[in-house]
Amino acid sequence: MSKLFEALGLDLRILFAQILNFAILLVALYYVAYKPIFKFLKERREGIEKGVKNAEEAESKLKIALKKEEEIINEAKKEALKIVEKAREEGVEKKESIIEKAKEEVGQIIQSEKAKIKAEKAETLKEIKKEVSGIVILALEKVLDEKIDNKSDKELIEKVTKSLA
Amino acid sequence: MNISLSPDILFSIGSFPVTNSFFWGVVLTLALIIFFGLVAKKMKNVPGPVQNFVEMILEAGYDFVRSVTGSDKKTEKVFPLVFTLFIFIIIANLITYIPGQSALTISRGDELVPVFRAVIADYGMVFAMTMISIIVTQIVAIYMVGPFGYVGKFFNFKGLFVFFKGLFKGKVDFLGLAQGFFDAFMGIMDLVGEIAKVVSLSFRLFGNIFAGEVLTAVILFLAPFIAPLPFMILGLLSAIVQAFVFSVLTLIYITMASESGGEERKESVPARSCDV
Repeated sequence: MSKLFEALGLDLRILFAQILNFAILLVALYYVAYKPIFKFLKERREGIEKGVKNAEEAESKLKIALKKEEEIINEAKKEALKIVEKAREEGVEKKESIIEKAKEEVGQIIQSEKAKIKAEKAETLKEIKKEVSGIVILALEKVLDEKIDNKSDKELIEKVTKSLA
Repeated sequence: MNISLSPDILFSIGSFPVTNSFFWGVVLTLALIIFFGLVAKKMKNVPGPVQNFVEMILEAGYDFVRSVTGSDKKTEKVFPLVFTLFIFIIIANLITYIPGQSALTISRGDELVPVFRAVIADYGMVFAMTMISIIVTQIVAIYMVGPFGYVGKFFNFKGLFVFFKGLFKGKVDFLGLAQGFFDAFMGIMDLVGEIAKVVSLSFRLFGNIFAGEVLTAVILFLAPFIAPLPFMILGLLSAIVQAFVFSVLTLIYITMASESGGEERKESVPARSCDV
């Protein structure tokens, strides 16, 4: 057995040193390389996962926002249509009332004008009558050359004019 | 031509003899620590080619170990050993293919000593790594089944004990006797198997690499041009394959030891759900 060890070059001191050597390599690589590298990889993977998740979330949020936007626009359109309709109705109503009012006013104006004309006409007629009566008196005076007397004269004239009227 | 099974002593520190393969083993250890340390220190979110390569082999190694152990918990514990074995053996094997190494010798006393020797072509180094992996395997087994369960696996006389107990009470159970003998025999065989693991694991790696070295040296001596190439390519293949085999066998031994206890059943359920 010892001969075999000798032939293979097994020396207990070197063997121990070699075990120590490998143990140091193992421990050093664990603390220097494996642990930090795997930690780093894990963090990076988590970061990427988070990023992807965030992007997905943002996308879904954007979709919701777009939907909402559309809804809002649709609602606004409906509202606008309603407002326009209402405005039109109101306009029509107002138009009718304005026309009504105008008609009324016109009617009133016409009425008052008619009354005025009537009054004027009456006045004119009165004046005409007066004048006519004066003319008639003059004419009669001229016709009847001589005056009977003042009193009977006037009575007579009045009688005549009244019958004329 | 000079072929020696044992590594040659380069120089001595006090009474401690430093062999050529041990010297290069230490150099390789330092180089690996510095290389991985630098890569780990300069990790960037957008990896360069070196970082990318290190990341790739580490992640591929981790996934492979995980596929054998079946759980992240076990993988985190066993991965450093397995990967260190793999990277150490494969780099040690591959650097022997840098040409011109065998030409360099130093004279020590009246003989010429080659400066370079494949680290793995030294049985001491292989034996050291084998001992580490086997001892870790035994520790895992003891941890899983307890010290008495561990010893009881190899010295299993429970069946014989039951038979003799029955014999005192006047019962003769020959089937039980046979079962008892069989169990005891299997226990001893397990013990032999554990010892055989050390031999098979270490000599497989050492034999392949040493034989490859010797073969290449012999062919190189006989026909120095072109003829050694196919042998070197074969040697390159076995250099990679043996590094893989050694580390994977270690992984399998440790995984098997970790599944020997009754606790495994509890652990395997979440481990499988992790796979999905």
